Amino acid sequence: MARAVTTRTKIGYTIAAWAVALVIFFPILYTIITSLKTEQEAISGFSLIPSFSTQSFSDVQSQNNYWRPFTNSVILAVGSTLLALVVAIPAAWAMAFSPTKRTKDILMWMLSTKMMPAVAVLVPIYLIFLRTGLMDTRIGLTILLMLINLPIVVWMLYTYFREIPGEILEAARMDGASLRDEIIHVLTPMAVPGIASTLLLNVILAWNEAFWTIQLTTTNAAPLSAFIASFSSPQGLFWAKLSAASVMAIAPILILGWFSQKQLVRGLTFGAVK
Amino acid sequence: MASSSETDLRTRLQGILPKLVLSPSVALTLFFVYGFILFTFWLSFTDSRMVPSHNFIGLENYRRLFRLSHWTIAMTNLAIFATLYIVVCTAIGLTLAIFLDQKIRGEGILRPIYLYPMALSFIVTGTAWKWLLDPGIGLEKTMRLWGWESFAFDWIKDPQMAIYTLVIAAVWQSSGFVMAMFLAGLRGIDNELLKAAQIDGASNWSLYRRIVLPMLRPAFLSAFVILSHLAIKSYDLVVALTGGGPGRATETPATFMYSYTYSRNQMGIGSASAVIMLVTIAAVMIPYLYAELKERS
Repeated sequence: MARAVTTRTKIGYTIAAWAVALVIFFPILYTIITSLKTEQEAISGFSLIPSFSTQSFSDVQSQNNYWRPFTNSVILAVGSTLLALVVAIPAAWAMAFSPTKRTKDILMWMLSTKMMPAVAVLVPIYLIFLRTGLMDTRIGLTILLMLINLPIVVWMLYTYFREIPGEILEAARMDGASLRDEIIHVLTPMAVPGIASTLLLNVILAWNEAFWTIQLTTTNAAPLSAFIASFSSPQGLFWAKLSAASVMAIAPILILGWFSQKQLVRGLTFGAVK
Repeated sequence: MASSSETDLRTRLQGILPKLVLSPSVALTLFFVYGFILFTFWLSFTDSRMVPSHNFIGLENYRRLFRLSHWTIAMTNLAIFATLYIVVCTAIGLTLAIFLDQKIRGEGILRPIYLYPMALSFIVTGTAWKWLLDPGIGLEKTMRLWGWESFAFDWIKDPQMAIYTLVIAAVWQSSGFVMAMFLAGLRGIDNELLKAAQIDGASNWSLYRRIVLPMLRPAFLSAFVILSHLAIKSYDLVVALTGGGPGRATETPATFMYSYTYSRNQMGIGSASAVIMLVTIAAVMIPYLYAELKERS
């Protein structure tokens, strides 16, 4: 919906929209600026011009071994996403193209698990992790994050697959395509954009996951979210260093988020906004 | 004969295959998530303290839970937080969507900026907020350095006001996301209809009030449902910003459940609070998701 508006009101709207953007971006921007300051500068009041010291970055790396949590984050986010896709793609495909009476109920029940507050299932998961020796291991967390995000992955893929017209499959079948041909030559090319979108969304969700990673890791498998959380408590006053660590933790998402804003909205609204 | 049995097998395979490939997902979700929910449900009826016990005590935990002042504080906080959060986010989100809908310059840059707070983990962006809200180094100090000596902004240290700092940060986090939901709604409205109304002499204001807002009903509903479930689940935000403090001033049901189960070794009561949260969220979400599914078929 866009209407003809006078140039003056349009300029007003533009200025207002940019002003709000500045306010919204300010905390992120200020974290970036602070990361380029020295500790002394960081606590001596507001200033937008840092001394462009990279000291904080090298301190974080040398004192806290930044690459370990970074590697863990990458492994957890990518690993759990790929694992979830392997399980979810066939499931979503089955529900989208061979729906039964119960398909909707199954989807509902799967998705309803996303509403559950994570604290509600912490006890059993904590106990299982303790007993199976999965505590603070990458493999344990990868599997857990996969399970946590599986319902949303199935749901997202289902909504994407539903947009593929079923007639095309029927046409292919009429032309004598086998099930294998159907999957490789017809379905896959049309499904790839949806799968890529889901992948992007899930990598972001898994990268941001903080509750489980904080509860179930100490040092070994701790990804960036847990790293930042542990950083802020004992060294609460080292703002420049904390900011540097934060910047490194959000940098990948700042880039990924730029390209996947649509998927993000779609995923977080459970598909209500396309 | 041979060929007919072959086709038979093929059709049968095509019939079974969907169920076959669906089952791992269903089994995993059923077993892990629902199994765990049931386990928590069961624990809420037992006298579990530090470790799970299987001694059934009926509704005792729920009775005790509702007599605890901490739980009352947590529920009151949630009510204040959720109400303000939902109302303010919806208002700001709708306003921003109307701004962006005017085909203004740089929409492609503005949209991701609005969405960033939602895309980034609050555990991380909370760093900047702690700086901003800390009277010793943030906004208060800055204003005083600039000469406004009497400026005071120490809400985060004030038990009466701390909950509002959570609202501010949460609104910051979600407004842009709500904007995206409303913008999608606005873009879906038929232009012809509005042109016709304009030709009939409708003013801008009445155009929005009488045509646009009523047509955005689905977007309002989605925003309400998504925001309320985020509000009930909010945990990261509280932990990163106030840790439930000062004192218990910003305790919410999620932090309550955590502290009762793990710090106070009252697993039974903690589980009961988790069940209450779960039921509340389900009461809001399930009708919505059903409607969402129905609409599409």
